[in-house]
Amino acid sequence: MVTMADQQVTTIEPMSLADIAQEHSDEAYKNREAVFEVKDLAVDYSGATAIREVSLDVYKNSVTAFIGPSGCGKSTFIRCFNRMNDLVPGAHVHGDVLYHGKDLYGDDVDPVEVRRRIGMVFQKPNPFPKSIYDNIAFGPRVLGLKGSLDERVERALRQSALWDEVNTRLKESALGLSGGQQQRLCIARCLAVEPDVILMDEPASALDPISTTRIEDLMHDLKREYTIVIVTHNMQQAARVADMTAFFSVDVAPDGNKRTGILVEYDRTSKIFTTPADKRTEDYVTGRFG
Amino acid sequence: MSEARPVARISFQEELDELELALRAEGELVLRSLRGAVEAVCSQDHELADEVIAFDDDIDDQYFEVEQGVELLLARQTPVASDLRLVLALLKDNLHLERMGDLCVTIAKLTKLTKGLPTDPDLLEGFKEMGERAEQMIRVALRSLQERDRVAAESLLELDELIDRANRRVVNRLLEIGHDLERREWGLRMILVSRCLERIGDHAVDVGEQTAYLVTGEFREFTDASH
Amino acid sequence: MSRSLKGGLFRLALLFSLGVGFLMLGTLLVDVFKDGLPYLDKTLLTNPPSVDPEIAGARPAIIATLYLGGLLLLFTVPIGVFTAIYLEEYADKTRWYNRLLEINIQNLAAVPSIVYGILGLAFLVRGLGLGRVLLAGAMILTLLVLPTVIIASREALRAVPDSIRQGAYALGATQWQVVSRQVLPAAIPGIATGSILSLSRAIGETAPLIMIGAVTYIAFDPTILGPFTALPIQIYQYVRLPQDEFKLLAAACIILLLGILLTLNAFAIWIRNRYRRTW
Repeated sequence: MVTMADQQVTTIEPMSLADIAQEHSDEAYKNREAVFEVKDLAVDYSGATAIREVSLDVYKNSVTAFIGPSGCGKSTFIRCFNRMNDLVPGAHVHGDVLYHGKDLYGDDVDPVEVRRRIGMVFQKPNPFPKSIYDNIAFGPRVLGLKGSLDERVERALRQSALWDEVNTRLKESALGLSGGQQQRLCIARCLAVEPDVILMDEPASALDPISTTRIEDLMHDLKREYTIVIVTHNMQQAARVADMTAFFSVDVAPDGNKRTGILVEYDRTSKIFTTPADKRTEDYVTGRFG
Repeated sequence: MSEARPVARISFQEELDELELALRAEGELVLRSLRGAVEAVCSQDHELADEVIAFDDDIDDQYFEVEQGVELLLARQTPVASDLRLVLALLKDNLHLERMGDLCVTIAKLTKLTKGLPTDPDLLEGFKEMGERAEQMIRVALRSLQERDRVAAESLLELDELIDRANRRVVNRLLEIGHDLERREWGLRMILVSRCLERIGDHAVDVGEQTAYLVTGEFREFTDASH
Repeated sequence: MSRSLKGGLFRLALLFSLGVGFLMLGTLLVDVFKDGLPYLDKTLLTNPPSVDPEIAGARPAIIATLYLGGLLLLFTVPIGVFTAIYLEEYADKTRWYNRLLEINIQNLAAVPSIVYGILGLAFLVRGLGLGRVLLAGAMILTLLVLPTVIIASREALRAVPDSIRQGAYALGATQWQVVSRQVLPAAIPGIATGSILSLSRAIGETAPLIMIGAVTYIAFDPTILGPFTALPIQIYQYVRLPQDEFKLLAAACIILLLGILLTLNAFAIWIRNRYRRTW
């Protein structure tokens, strides 16, 4: 008797697309390890609240993006993750930020150690006025890391896809590099101290489109080993690179004066950009408002 | 599929490639369904017909995956130029393949309806031929998409002509046996089977049109409706 | 009045101002060189002063000036730079005492040098019992010049972009590491320039030194804890002597002093230019 199984002529595996969908599904994310757990966070500068009532979890080996209009506190928020707000006089952080279950702002926590594990790349590339080699070596040197410095430098430059372009001129000034190269240098500098998390505050906004694409491809590679959190004002960038997206907005007090940032929606990127739950999110991503 | 490996937007290219692969896999499923349906008609195999009907669920699942994949890709990657044309072509081809699957189900259902009725060997021979033609057209359509081959896509028109001729022969044959009351009922149902096979051919031509659109950037029907 | 005419007149006014300044300076220089150049010879450098203009020199003054310069550098740079670092990098600028400190440094820079002289006389020479020695002179010049060095160092530290500090902190550096390994090295050209310019100002100072008792006539080489004179004072003394030759000798000393100052300034400019390109 003839059956359907006899009709099979080729053996193409039809389920690879389903694998992608699976990656984006609810169950996959519920089981992921949370690197950061933020509970009811608020930040104020000398009494003026910049952002409040933020609660979300950042998952391991994912790219999490914070998007929203200017003034919504996303940069302030990301700086809470590596205690860079400590350096701003008058800044106060309320609520909890747990890093692998431990309170990041606990009394026994050393901010210097925090910043080694949780690195940061800034909006405008800020290479030190030293050679390329010394830029990368700075972190390991000040932290007293053991092991061959040359190897560390090479590994960091390879990981940030810069090695091929600069390996013949490591002793030259870092300021001679192009904007895109400088930003990749800053990423390499961050990687050299072997962080756990990489924070990026609008990493590509000062760069040309081609450099931007390279940085985005880099994020895709890096997330296999690190956890990445980025702030971006470019929605399409968040759509392209992020696994999870958080949309922040500005809450204006009735008298029109107090403007505070709030978290509106936090979900898988695919959901935010196809069927967002909150109308404010929809208005923002469609470009209608915000 | 493009030959050179792109230097940037690797993950995007991978997603596009996987989407195309999924569509091709759907095509393979449709081919299996078609063969099963034609075999069921020609050998009056009702169990096979049942299997074909059940198998359509697999095709629908794959259709849904591709549809979702396209939606996600459009939302997240904002493709433009040839990427956009590819995604739109995949969207429409997905629909055509799903319709082909449904037509195979119709053939299988018609087979079940004619259980026990006397048949005509010439007609069955005709269906076998049409089935092979249709299968060939689906293969050519899928391959022309894979290789971005506009000429191959346009050749589908000639192949469709062959199916149309086979369809006309079937109709003529049915008119011949029409006076035979016993076989008349079976004959009427078989006209629909013939129509389904011919429609499958038309869908394959549509897939070819999408390939031509993808390659040239302009959408043109290969032939006007009066043909 | 048409616009181009106004523009032209403005340019003329600028050139006039430039001209006046250069003309006066030029006249002075020409005069001094005319008088002093023949007397600029080895005797000036090697011989002590004498009543005989033929063999009179300015050796003790030159040596004292060099000592003063060296001690000045030794005192002002560390104190000035560390104060600047504290004020710029460590101090909480919202505190009242830091703001007070800031205002006072600006004021100190404007105090007339003779006041420093009196201060030195009262506290160093008499109060501490140092006596009228070179060390006291160096210390008082330090005080005189310190505010300027602090201000210049602060400017140099401020010129280091904050993004550099942020980048260093973000890598896990402590405040001390950020300052010593990033900020200070980057600010060194500015600090060096500021220090050298302050130094060259101090070398030309006369009033404070006179107040604390620099003598106008010594014939032996000065030591740090001994009586001393300095080039500006030597010039002053020679000018007051009746013989005309001494006036010409004074002119020669002026050329020497100008030469030292010019060299120092050129050195400062060279440092500034050499390190400018790293920004």
